[in-house]
Parts: sequence; C-alpha cells; structure tokens
Amino acid sequence: MQPHSLVVALPALLLCGLRAAEAPKLVEILGAELNRNFESLKTKADPPAYYLAYTVTDDEVVSMEATSGLLAAKDKRHSRILDVTLRLGTPKLDNYHRQPRDFAQFTRGSGVSLDDNGNALRRRIWLDTDAVYRAASQRLTNIKTNTQVKVEETDRSDDFSNADAAVDFQKIPELKYDEKKWAGHLRDWSKKISAHGDILASQVSFQAQREIKTFVNSEGTRLQHGRTFARVVISARSKAFDGMDLATAETIEADEPGRLPSEKKIDAAVDKVIADLRGLLKAQEVDPFVGPAILSGRAAGVFFHEIFGHRIEGHRQKDESEGQTFTKRVNQSVLPDFLSVYFDPTIKRYADEDLYGWYSYDDEGVKGRRVSVVEKGILKTFLLSRSPIAGFPNSNGHGRRQAGHEIVARQSNLIVHSDKQVSTPKLRELLIEEIKKQNKPYGLYFESVTGGFTTTGRQGLQAFTVIPLVVYKVFADGRPDELIRGADIVGTPLASFAKIAATSDRAEVFNGYCGAESGSVPVSAASPALLVSEIEIQRKNRSQERPPLLPRPRSEGGL
Amino acid sequence: MKRRVFLSLPLTAAALRAQKIDDPFLEAMAAELSRSMQLKIAGETPYFIEYSVEDGANMTCIASLGGLIQSVASPYRIPRVQLRVGSYEFDNSNAVFTGQVRGARFDTGRWPLEYNRQQIQQELWLATDRAYKSAVQEFTLKKSALQNVTLSEKLNDFAKQEKVTKLLPPAKPKPDEKKWNDVARRLSQTFASYPKILESRIDVEESSSTFYLANTEGSMVRVPETVVSIRARAEAYAADGSTVRNHRFFHAFSLDSLPPEAEMKREIDAMAKQVTALADAPLGEAYTGPILFESQAAGQLFYQLFGSQLQAMRDPVSVPGRPVNMPPSDLESRLGSRVLPETFDVIDDPDAKFNGRPLFGHSEVDFQGVPTQKAVLVEKGTMKTLLYTRQPVRGHEGSTGHGRLPGAFGHAAAVPTNLVVTARESVSREELRKKFMDIVAQRRKPYGIVVRRLDYPSSASATELRRLAGSGGGGGKVVSLPLEIVRVYPDGREEAIRGVRFRGVNTRLLRDIVATGNDAAPFEFLLNTAPLALMGAGGYVVGSSITCPSLLFDEMELERPSEERPRPPVVPPPPLDSGI
Repeated sequence: MQPHSLVVALPALLLCGLRAAEAPKLVEILGAELNRNFESLKTKADPPAYYLAYTVTDDEVVSMEATSGLLAAKDKRHSRILDVTLRLGTPKLDNYHRQPRDFAQFTRGSGVSLDDNGNALRRRIWLDTDAVYRAASQRLTNIKTNTQVKVEETDRSDDFSNADAAVDFQKIPELKYDEKKWAGHLRDWSKKISAHGDILASQVSFQAQREIKTFVNSEGTRLQHGRTFARVVISARSKAFDGMDLATAETIEADEPGRLPSEKKIDAAVDKVIADLRGLLKAQEVDPFVGPAILSGRAAGVFFHEIFGHRIEGHRQKDESEGQTFTKRVNQSVLPDFLSVYFDPTIKRYADEDLYGWYSYDDEGVKGRRVSVVEKGILKTFLLSRSPIAGFPNSNGHGRRQAGHEIVARQSNLIVHSDKQVSTPKLRELLIEEIKKQNKPYGLYFESVTGGFTTTGRQGLQAFTVIPLVVYKVFADGRPDELIRGADIVGTPLASFAKIAATSDRAEVFNGYCGAESGSVPVSAASPALLVSEIEIQRKNRSQERPPLLPRPRSEGGL
Repeated sequence: MKRRVFLSLPLTAAALRAQKIDDPFLEAMAAELSRSMQLKIAGETPYFIEYSVEDGANMTCIASLGGLIQSVASPYRIPRVQLRVGSYEFDNSNAVFTGQVRGARFDTGRWPLEYNRQQIQQELWLATDRAYKSAVQEFTLKKSALQNVTLSEKLNDFAKQEKVTKLLPPAKPKPDEKKWNDVARRLSQTFASYPKILESRIDVEESSSTFYLANTEGSMVRVPETVVSIRARAEAYAADGSTVRNHRFFHAFSLDSLPPEAEMKREIDAMAKQVTALADAPLGEAYTGPILFESQAAGQLFYQLFGSQLQAMRDPVSVPGRPVNMPPSDLESRLGSRVLPETFDVIDDPDAKFNGRPLFGHSEVDFQGVPTQKAVLVEKGTMKTLLYTRQPVRGHEGSTGHGRLPGAFGHAAAVPTNLVVTARESVSREELRKKFMDIVAQRRKPYGIVVRRLDYPSSASATELRRLAGSGGGGGKVVSLPLEIVRVYPDGREEAIRGVRFRGVNTRLLRDIVATGNDAAPFEFLLNTAPLALMGAGGYVVGSSITCPSLLFDEMELERPSEERPRPPVVPPPPLDSGI
C-alpha cells in the first residue's frame, strides 16, 4: 500500500484554484484550522496522523404540537455540532480498527458557534482535535498489542480506503412555512381526535428541519451540502378494558413544508388514526398464530429494513462479534429469484412520495450512489463506508452518522423491486388460496407497523420483531375482515425470506429515522405488498393496569 | 424550585373566606381535587392530594469568544401531582418503594401552552389516576416489608399543615432573546484579549414562572418566581499541563436588575487577568497553619460545612435485609451543643436584605406550599434548630417552609434561604490581617495563607469532580477547591499559588475560629442538589445566599494532590484575532 496522502494529493491540488473564489466562510475557517492541525499531527505527533476530517452539522428545527384543540408546544432550535475524525497509524491498521465488542468513539460532538466566528470556532476545533488525538493514540496502542496477542482475524482487509476528493458548495433553501396556518390546522385536527371520549391521549405535530453539513478533510475535500425535511405526526393512545395499552399513528413526510400533502389528505389520515384506535379498543386480542399473511407495502418496507437492511451493513461483516448472516453468501441466493433490492440515496421521490433517505454526499464526503445489493435473489454486495471489507475495497457512499457519533455503513433509500407482481385484489385471492391450502381458519393482513428492532450480534438470537399497529384477520369463507390487537411479528431472517410467495404491483414508502451505532439517521424503505406463505405472531407483552377509575371530568361540574 | 420574589400582603382568615379564587389554574385544580378524593380500590382512599404547576418560560444563551453557541427560549407548563394513601401517621411515603411504581402514562407531563379548563382537568384526572394506582401499590409494598421487621422508632409519615392562601400576581416573562444573545457575545469577547485562556464561556439564563399549588388541606398558592443569572468561566493550562480556572456570577431577580454590562465586563476582565497570571503561578505545597478566609471564601466554606447539614435525615422503610441508611447530618446530633464560638449567631432569614435589597434566597413559600419562616439556627454558638419540611424526623414534626427542592421518598429537601452569620466580637480588616500575621510569626511559618474565592458552586469537569469526591482525606468532608489562594509573607508581599486543596475539613473546624472581621458581605448563588452545587446541574435550582464575615482559623491543612497531568497538546493553540 502506498502512503495514503500521496494518492490524493494531486486531485486536492487541482481543486484548490476552483474553490478559492466561492468557498463559504465556514469552509474557509474549518479548512485553515484543519491544515494547521493536520500539519503538526502528521509531522510532530507519535503515532502520526494520516487523515483528518471536520464536519459541522448545522440544524434548524421548528416544531409545533397540539392536543385537544390547544397548542401544546412550540419550539425553534438552532444548533451546530462539530465532529472530528482523526486516523492515526496507516490505512492498513489505524485507531478505528474493529475490535469485538469495542465500538470506537472518538468525536465529542461539541456545540460550536452559530456565528461564523473564527476565534470561537478555531478554539473549539483545536481543543476537540487534541482530545480526539489523545483517545485515538491510546486506542491504537491497544489495538497493536491485541493484534499480536489474538488469533488472526477472518477479514484482513484494511481499515480505511481511498476515495476521490470532492469540492461542492450547495445552496440549501431556507425553511419556509406558515406558522399561523399550521398552528390552526394542528388545533383543528387535534380537536377532532379529542372529541372521542374513549381516546385518552392524542397529539398532532408539525416539524420542519433544515440541515447543512460542512465537511473538510485532509485529502482536499471541501463540501457544503444538506437538505430540508418536513413531517406531520398524528398519534392517539388509549387503554382497552382489559388493560392493554393501544396506540395508532400516521406520519406524513415531505422534502419541505410546501410539499406536504393537502389539508384534505392529512384530515383523512386523522380520521384513520381515530377509526383505527376506536376499532382496536373493541377488537379481540390475538392468539399466537402461524400461517399465511399479506404485509402492506409500508409494512414490507419496515420488514426489509430490519431483517435484511441491517444485516448487509458493511462493518458487520468484519466484526467477529456479529452474526454475519450474509457475509459468506455473496453471489448466492438469499431472496426468492423474483426479488431485487437496491439502495439509492440519489432519488428524491418514489411511488409519488418524497423520500427521507436521500443525500448528495455521505458523512465521509463520498458522493451518494445507487447500490444494487440483491439482483434477482442473488446477493451482490454490501453497504459500504470507507471501512473496506474482504472483496469490497471501496466505499459506495453509505458511511453515515448522526452528529456526535462515529460513522458506520448505514441504509439510505431501500427499494424492493419485484418481477412477480400481481394486482392488489389478485394478491388477496392468492392469500385466500393459501389459507385454504394450509387448512388455516384465517390469514392475516398487516396494514401498518410502527417499526421494529433486530439483533445482529452473535450473543443473542438472530431474530427480529416488527411491531404492527393495525392487523386484520382475513377469512377464507368471505366473512368481512376482522381487526385484531396485541400481535408482534417474530421470526428469523433467512427462514422468513424463503416464504415470500408473490408481491403486489403497487409500491408504498415508509419514511423514518433509523437508530444504530452511529445514531439516528433518516431513511426510507419502499416495497410492494408481500404475500408470505408463513408468518409467526406472538402476543404482545401487555399492561395489567385498569383503565382510569373515575369518569372523564367535565369542567362545568367544577367548584 | 426557583426562588420567589414578590412580597405578599398577609390575609386574615375572614378575608380568605370572602375572597373568590378567580384563577383558571387553581379553579381547575380545586374541581379535580374534590373529584379525586372519591378514588377507591382495595379499600384504600387518598387522604391527601396536592397539585402544582410551574407556568413559565426559560431562556438560555451561551457564547464563547464572541460567537453564540446556543440560544433557546422555551415556554413550559410542568405539573406535579402528589397523592398519599393511608393516613398522616402511616402512608405510602418514606419507603424505598415511594416513587418507584410507574404505570402506563396518558397525561402528557406538560400542559398545553393555551388554556382550556377541560383540558387541564383531563390532564389532572389522568395524572391523579396514575399517581393513585402507584400510591396504592407502594403502600402495599411498604406494609408487606414491615410484616417481619419492627422499626426502632415510630415516626409519623407526613406532618399536618394549616391551610395556606397566598395569591400573588403571576409573573409575565418576556425575555428579549436577541438583546441577551448580543450581551453574551460581547461579554464572551472579553476573553479574546487573553491568549493564554484556552476555554471560556458565558451563560445567560433567565427562568421566569409562576408557581401554582392547591391541595386537599385547602391551601391555594400562586407566587411568581424569576431567577436570572450570568456565569462567566475561564480555564487555562499551566506549563506542567494542569488546568487553572475561575469564574464570576451575576444574579438578579430580573434581567433589568443585573449590574450594568460595563461593570460585568470589568469584573470578567479582572478574572481573565487573574487566570492568565495563575497559569504561571507556582504550585502550592502542603501546609499546616493559620488560614484567613476573606468574606466571600468564608461564606463559601461556611455554607458547605454548615448550610448543607441543616436537614435531619430519615432512613426509609426498605426491603427486609437490605437497609438503606441516609447520610446523617453533622449538626443534628449536636442540637443543644456548641458548634461555633460563643460569640456567633446564625439565622436563616427568607426576608433578609443587604443595603435595602432583598437577598437572593428570598422565599415566600416552599415546594410544598408552606410559608417559609425565619429560623434562629445558632445562638451564642449553640445549635438551636435545623430546617424542616413536612417530613417528620426524629425529635421534630412540622415544616418551617424550607422544603425548597425535591427530595427523596415522597418528600422535599430542606435547604437554606439566606443564611446570616454574625459575630458579637469582630475587628476591622486591618486588625484581622495583623492578628493573622501575628499567629504566622508566632508559629514561625515562612508565610501564611489567605483564601479569597472557592470553586463553589463548582465549575469542575465531571472527571475532576469524581477525583475530588474521593478526596475527603484526614477524616474530612469533600469541600470545593480554592480558586484564589495566596501566600502572604511577613513583609506583606502576596504570591498566588495553585494546585492545592484542603484536607481534613469538617463541621468541627468551625469551633476553632479565632477571629472575625467586621466586613460581612453576601455571597449569592444558585443552589441545586448536585455535589458541590455543580453549576448547570440538577433539574431544579433555587436561589440562596450566605452573609458571612472574614474568618481566621487557627490551624487548617492544605495538601498538594498527586494527580496525573495531561501532556501539553501537540498542536499549538490557534492565534486569536482581534475582530470577530
């Protein structure tokens, strides 16, 4: 391996002239302080640094929430978080080298000046770089000892890969929204929910966010990029007569407040939250069940995100404490041959919906790109940051983090594509056929889910749970569908994929925030509805507490 | 709790009866209180319910070297429901189970910013339901834990309290965020002229709210409370890698009554100079001999040794075989005994004034709605009483209205308001200094030690605080580090030192005060429940003060802790430019 800095010195030099004229002030301040620190740490420090990067994440968030027709909270926040990435040693072995059950955390995620104030920024950057250097040199010493004491690792790939330097300064639009208008809507919608006496708590909230990331590294990359987000969340909760806590929610996302759907559409979502919760309050508690089911497109998106997506994140393939479900299955079949899965951070819309998982550059300054992970059932590659794994030496633009965390490979926009599509009514017919074939009393339809979780570590089961909100029993004899409550989907990944039998022809999008080692990042998952020949549900752990003892107060009966 | 500001007019019983409440919050609370008394399961009914809410707004802005780092202004309405089942003699509190039972929550914990009586009652209804179910479970757990043990002494669980009615005009917070952002920027810019100071920041905080309380004993309280503070902190590295630091506080009851900006800037500038000089000061050495605490440092030490020991602790009922022992108060066992020289008196006075200005610990009512009373704590050196909440303790039942912060096991924590320390015999500054130098000469010491400021409330980092916590060597308490400490040589020359701490300090030390100055001045600060009242820590803060003269101790010990010192940074600090 050639010294890393040489490889990239050329493009960095070439780009210098280009950037001088137009670099924003923050880029200039970060760049100059980076050069000053890197020069000393490269030449005077022992162990020496070979890579340094600074990221400032500038977040402006506005939010409002209403309950029972009243504005309950209103908040505006502006923050700037500094992250320092410092690599010591060589790309072959550096301070980020993965060690079982020891996740490297160096950056401190300090709050920095909201003003482009040189003195204030430079001091904080310098102090944090020093603190990170101390922690990094200590970890590198430990790693060097460990690699001599322990048996050789299965994956002997390097700790850091090459990437092209990039210079790009984007203008991110200001947040625009009509505060009065939204406050009025939130009041109206929340009032509508609270009119129902059997609903104990409800909220309707609006949130808009503008995120600008300024990134500079010692390879000459100078970036300022970002995006906006907007979201409406409608949620309602109550307690069934037997103590079970029930909740329903709808979330509606868009790229910016102006792109959120019409009032009428959100109003319909409010009605749905009410109807679903009131239905659930009267619904029967589920019995444990194994049998055929349909997962709606949004539910299927979550299913793929949890069960598949987390297991193809690159860093898990070289961590000896991970389950490594797919590590050795490249070029082998992992899904039915009519399914393909790709991740694409470059698309902003899919199936007529705005996506949360797009970005122009990842958090290592690598341009986002489409990655075909599974082609016709065959696993082709993994999601990669600049931490290479055996057979996959370069980043594919999926190194992501929440400010204040360390970068690992994360999902972006997950898209499931099917070659075995049938219409939605046909998919239901196939389900009924399957129920009859398996001689089951009924099948299930999972309409919406809140999310889920999965364990990928070797300690603990290689299992997942997806938490459904709205589930129906579908009967083979033509009876109407029946809402049920208290079900969790459980399973193991490989077995579950084998049971996907067909899909619908209409994709749906699930937008949300995904939490893992590198914090919470916005993601999307899009999929057509899936027919699964066998799914297992278990009873949800539930409260034994009684509903409120006294009747709801009525204010006219006051003093 | 935050401090309470306005003075109330005493209301006679007749006036109370005649008065209509006419407050939307209190009306909603009263309605829900009477409804909730009907709660009943397993034969248990509530005997006491209390509702309170803090309705206000917080503003925080932080700046460093002229750059604004954070600015948040947020309104809030935070309710609190307390419910007791059983009786005043025996209830669900004073047990390790108290507060540990949590059911499903449907109340939001934050009331809407817009008012609607129906909504407030609904929030109270859901919160009371949850509190009631928890209380019944806690009560059952407590009763079953007592099946097989007998308590060494029988104390009631809750002190009765006369009905209190105190309705003062609510606070009207309207912080000018932009203006204070600029003040923070300008004050923090002061440090840009001091390249040796490596870390510095200014915090401006305003919390302005109204505290409402209603309970089933018939009490109704509405008191405004506003706390404003500006903190300046600075830290530098000495050549050996150890850190030196200092800080300044400015406190007031409203943003407008803070000292003029120019005056604050002057003080911050002086502090910056002091920290810069301290970075080059020699390390102190172990020392045993006379130490003179000048007024502010004397107050800071006195508060830590005396003010923090004024609550009598009570052990909770616990799981059999796993007793929980609360740290006993140093002063409780000395009630009726001498704790200070005979010339000393100490009072706690919620209405104390200094130069006609009410002091920062001013309190109308405490967290439990009890009016705060003046207490004579020490008379002629003898400990007379402690500060009490509604928690009965050994030898005392009945609140003095000092439950100003949330406490453990269903009760409040008793903390001082304004401590006033007076000595019947005192001397001028010059005489005190002469007396001090005489002792130094008698003991044939090459120098004496004068302390001017302690790190209290503490500005220590988490790691430093941990190190300090394990440092109560020589049978002493952990007290904060000296920030401004000097050697005074026989010729009157002074030399600042760094890197020392006190050793073997405890409440008994206070009996050995040999002389007192006539220079008492108040030290005012924000108190919380964190160790050494760590700045910015704790969910609740309360204003407090101590007025104390300079104190001369015959013999105290200093030590130089052996601590690891980080190597200096590889990269030199970035140069400061004069502009922005």
